[in-house]
Amino acid sequence: MSKKMNYNVPDGYFENLQKRLSAIPAQVEKPSRMQKFTPYLALAACFAIAVMIGNFVLRRSTVPVASEDEIIEYLIASDITLAQIEDYLITNQ
Amino acid sequence: MKEEDFRELVGKYSEQLYWHIRSLVGSHEDADDLVQETFIKVWKALPSFRGESSLSTWLWRIATNEALGFLRKRRVRASLMFESLDAEAERVVDSDPWFDGDKAQRQLAKAILSLPPKQRSVFCMRYFEELPYEQISEITGTSVGALKSSYHLAAEKLKVLIESVD
Repeated sequence: MSKKMNYNVPDGYFENLQKRLSAIPAQVEKPSRMQKFTPYLALAACFAIAVMIGNFVLRRSTVPVASEDEIIEYLIASDITLAQIEDYLITNQ
Repeated sequence: MKEEDFRELVGKYSEQLYWHIRSLVGSHEDADDLVQETFIKVWKALPSFRGESSLSTWLWRIATNEALGFLRKRRVRASLMFESLDAEAERVVDSDPWFDGDKAQRQLAKAILSLPPKQRSVFCMRYFEELPYEQISEITGTSVGALKSSYHLAAEKLKVLIESVD
């Protein structure tokens, strides 16, 4: 292939290259388990923060809604009559 | 993966990867640096290699990306000095003491180096390394159809470039 490209290399280059490349593991530290998981941990932390912020915003913006039973109890306890309720429903339809 | 396995990988692929990178960047000195960078990346990324593609495809992908990244930087530098792709190719070939072709072969090398980097990588993998289109497709993430047209376009450009010199 080198002939086809007419490129050349110095004598003994590939032997020397193999020696240099074989020394890489001793020179370069392999990423530790912790380093390997760091991007995933960062992603998980971002997700958790987004959920917390979303939850906080939703809680603040949600108007408390009374349950059906609470509404009925309120209506019973109040002096409101059935006719008044009917009137209200008809005028607000 | 253990160090012995890595050394086996170096023994089996370092020379082929060197020629692959050399065909893309032209100069011996740059190819030497880039093959070293490629194997450092390989060593660091080996634990995450899941075998979704063959080992050789994975190695070629790392080497190709490394070379294309280098070529991008070289192009930016050359552009800042108002140097065209042709002038850059001329400078790279003429300043490399490890080129042993005659005048016509020198012209061909310059013409190849004046192709846009991605097109050059497709041309070199197909023409010099004779890799099947399917493997080039896995390496580059480009469809076989697009690769074929890129190759033919490159071959046409080279023909025009060489004829214009003659």
